[in-house]
Amino acid sequence: MMASSYSAKEEDGHHSGPAGLGAATRTRKPDNTAFKQQRLPAWQPILTAGTVLPAFFIIGLIFIPIGIGLYVTSNNINEFEIDYTGTDMSSPCFNCSQNFSWNSTTPCKCVLSFYLDQPFESNVFMYYGLSNFYQNHRRYVKSRDDSQLNGDERSLKEPSKECEPYRTNENKPIAPCGAIANSMFNDTLDLFYINPSGSKTQIPLNKKGIAWSTDKRVKFRNPGGSNPNLTAVFKDTAKPVNWHKPVYELDSEADNNGFINEDFIVWMRTAALPTFRKLYRIIQKNNNMTPTLPRGNYSLEVTYNYPVRSFEGRKRVILSTISWMGGKNPFLGIAYMTVGSICFFLGVVLLFIHHKYGNRNNSSDIAS
Amino acid sequence: CFSSSAAAHIGVGISGQEGIQAVLASDYSFSQFRFLQRLLLVHGRWSYLRMCRFLCYFFYKNFAFTMVHFWFGFFCGFSAQTVYDQYFITLYNIVYTSLPVLAMGLFDQDVPEQRSLEYPKLYEPGQLNLLFNKREFFICIAQGIYTSVVLFFIPYGVLSHATQSNGVPLADYQTFAVTTATALVIVVSVQIALDTGYWTAINHFFIWGSLGTYFTILFAMHSSILFNIFPKQFHFLGSAHNTLGQPVVWLTIALATVICIAPVLAFRFLKLDLKPQLSDTVRYTQLVLQKKQKPCGRVGRGVGGG
Repeated sequence: MMASSYSAKEEDGHHSGPAGLGAATRTRKPDNTAFKQQRLPAWQPILTAGTVLPAFFIIGLIFIPIGIGLYVTSNNINEFEIDYTGTDMSSPCFNCSQNFSWNSTTPCKCVLSFYLDQPFESNVFMYYGLSNFYQNHRRYVKSRDDSQLNGDERSLKEPSKECEPYRTNENKPIAPCGAIANSMFNDTLDLFYINPSGSKTQIPLNKKGIAWSTDKRVKFRNPGGSNPNLTAVFKDTAKPVNWHKPVYELDSEADNNGFINEDFIVWMRTAALPTFRKLYRIIQKNNNMTPTLPRGNYSLEVTYNYPVRSFEGRKRVILSTISWMGGKNPFLGIAYMTVGSICFFLGVVLLFIHHKYGNRNNSSDIAS
Repeated sequence: CFSSSAAAHIGVGISGQEGIQAVLASDYSFSQFRFLQRLLLVHGRWSYLRMCRFLCYFFYKNFAFTMVHFWFGFFCGFSAQTVYDQYFITLYNIVYTSLPVLAMGLFDQDVPEQRSLEYPKLYEPGQLNLLFNKREFFICIAQGIYTSVVLFFIPYGVLSHATQSNGVPLADYQTFAVTTATALVIVVSVQIALDTGYWTAINHFFIWGSLGTYFTILFAMHSSILFNIFPKQFHFLGSAHNTLGQPVVWLTIALATVICIAPVLAFRFLKLDLKPQLSDTVRYTQLVLQKKQKPCGRVGRGVGGG
């Protein structure tokens, strides 16, 4: 772009003096291009009151309604949580939590009763929650073998070194190896509705569709291809040390057995924080207009297999409905409302400061 | 002539009739003494400005990136678990954030060259060490730390109880990693956009290109193709799709961006409004002048802001 008011030629022009020989001598002047002379066309933004103040007001006016919408949506979601760790003497699960032993063959059961005062409509999601359980510890997170879980035969027989010390047991490779698999959550939870007449009806719990579809379809595969006889496929491997049953007996249905068992996949997706919840079951909505979980008394029957006392962890069950933004999450709504209000308020304050003290006429300050 | 070069900040030699000894010992050399004016007032001043902005941004973006791990340490048993995916950590400084700041360091101008020569007083900040000193350094670091606090605790607050619209919880490690990484890249890109004062086509290409490259590489690494080749390396399969398809995640990222950028914007606006430096005033009048002249057919210069 040569057409600018500043011309380099006039300033150091006398190089073209000895014109006769000029064409043959090489000039060491840099090229007079826009790039090399730093004259590239450019947008030069500046922060003026006309751009910054409206920006603050607009952000405030967008965020506050979004915050209100999120907060109202979150409040309309029903959620119920019940802790069943059983540390207090009065809790029904107290005996189970105290008497735990790895070698016990008879499972310990406890029953908790609760009352739902709001009916739950549409699909209800049942989660188990753990506290003080650090699934995000570095040594724990790397203790897995993704090739083995993907069905690779070689990794099945020789799991990765990252799985140590849960790699082999009695000279046989552990399938699935690693600390994550070894600590899989194995409590069984059953929900019963107590009719007003006193009889119990079991609420049907759906165990499909709880894991990420990419995990179930691609990431986790049983070794041996489509061989339905998993006992033969997992021959010569050992079960993880803390499991009661081996991996090929996790479920009687073939598409939920072995590594593709959805409860196993859900557990292997490690949580980011020490207090977390994982999807356990889905309660499908009824086809007629009755609520999925009507108001009333319920009982939760727990087969208490999973010990948490040693690390002061806690266990709980959560029942929740869902909306477009997920479960109950008042934080997002409140945060949006707060930030929106602060931005709006800041806009007002800046407007006031600009009006009272700002330099309206900038060019008068240039001292030459 | 050798001893004076040793005592000075830079040595300038004139190459000419008396030989080239001074040139060999100097940092810069040219053929005519009058070029010294441009060297100092235009190039030297721009170089100082670019260097200071570059340094401040560089410390800021690395503190914003690294300190997130410090906060995460409180929640992961101080086991040194990284918040981000390993590949993100490798590529962050090399691919996702290097080119925009490089472009700013090469092309940034606060006032055009004619004004630089016209107002020699603009050279003063360089002499007084005003643009990057201990105070400015601590401000950059503090901004980086504040950004890291926001980038960790906002996803922490939202994702610890969030679920997808199909009920599956969003509190897993990979979702947290993708959310935090995406928020980080967006926030530092907005910050470099605020820092860049002179947007050539190259700046636009580098800034938008880096953001685009981030998303491209993210989806590529979380795809099933790479997973099937190297399952242990690319174990974030499906995270990008599952995470960035949730409205809650984008709302979190937007919230984090506003919380990080709004104070910076307010502070800079106030500084410009209440205590403008000479360069701010010259820049403002220059742009107002150009806007007035634009309808008269000056080509090749874009004007914005105002």
